Amino acid sequence: MVLEIEDIKKLIPQRFPFLMIDRVLEASPEKVVAIKNVTASEQFFKGHFPGQPIMPGALVIEAMAQTGIILYKQKFANDKVLFLVSVKSRFLKPVIPGDQMMITVEPIKMMSRMGIFNAIITIEDRKIAEAEIAFGSQDAKSI
Amino acid sequence: MAPSIKDEILEIVATVIEKEAGDISLDAHLVQEVGADSMMALEILAALEKKYHIVVPEERLKEMTTVNKIIQMVETARKRG
Repeated sequence: MVLEIEDIKKLIPQRFPFLMIDRVLEASPEKVVAIKNVTASEQFFKGHFPGQPIMPGALVIEAMAQTGIILYKQKFANDKVLFLVSVKSRFLKPVIPGDQMMITVEPIKMMSRMGIFNAIITIEDRKIAEAEIAFGSQDAKSI
Repeated sequence: MAPSIKDEILEIVATVIEKEAGDISLDAHLVQEVGADSMMALEILAALEKKYHIVVPEERLKEMTTVNKIIQMVETARKRG
């Protein structure tokens, strides 16, 4: 199932300039694959860094997290706001203008109030970042 | 001798909660006495599922209050296959 940007906006609450995925190529409760085209016009390149544009690692994680929301919504169709809880990540290569990030996420354990998933980002079939991400909803504490 | 299931589970719990295994009593309430939270419970659950190839439904998370109860839960889940 391919999701275009307007479909994506129905599933995730982030908006410009914080939308970090452009298209979803594949979406099921077992796996979501999304892409983000990184352009020279990204706002963050103005300051990160002047004369040497590199996408901040925190925003690379954000792209994984937003893809993770799509993954969660494949199993639980609700309006809960999800928060990052923990991130274990490794960055292998910087992301620069012109790169197309392919973000693949798969659940480790997905539950209605919280979850953990794996994320891998490739650029032209080369892995550039990986992470294990845990998130919770506002009512996760009540367990 | 291979480590017992009790030692293995205690080690998983201790690693996630960041305490020494020897400091966690098997019947201590993990949230009220040991200092765990619900996200740690989720991490423990995910680690147990991976190690023992079991699937634990979400409703059972609230039963994981002590190490002994977790051991019991894992043993039941393994018997069910």
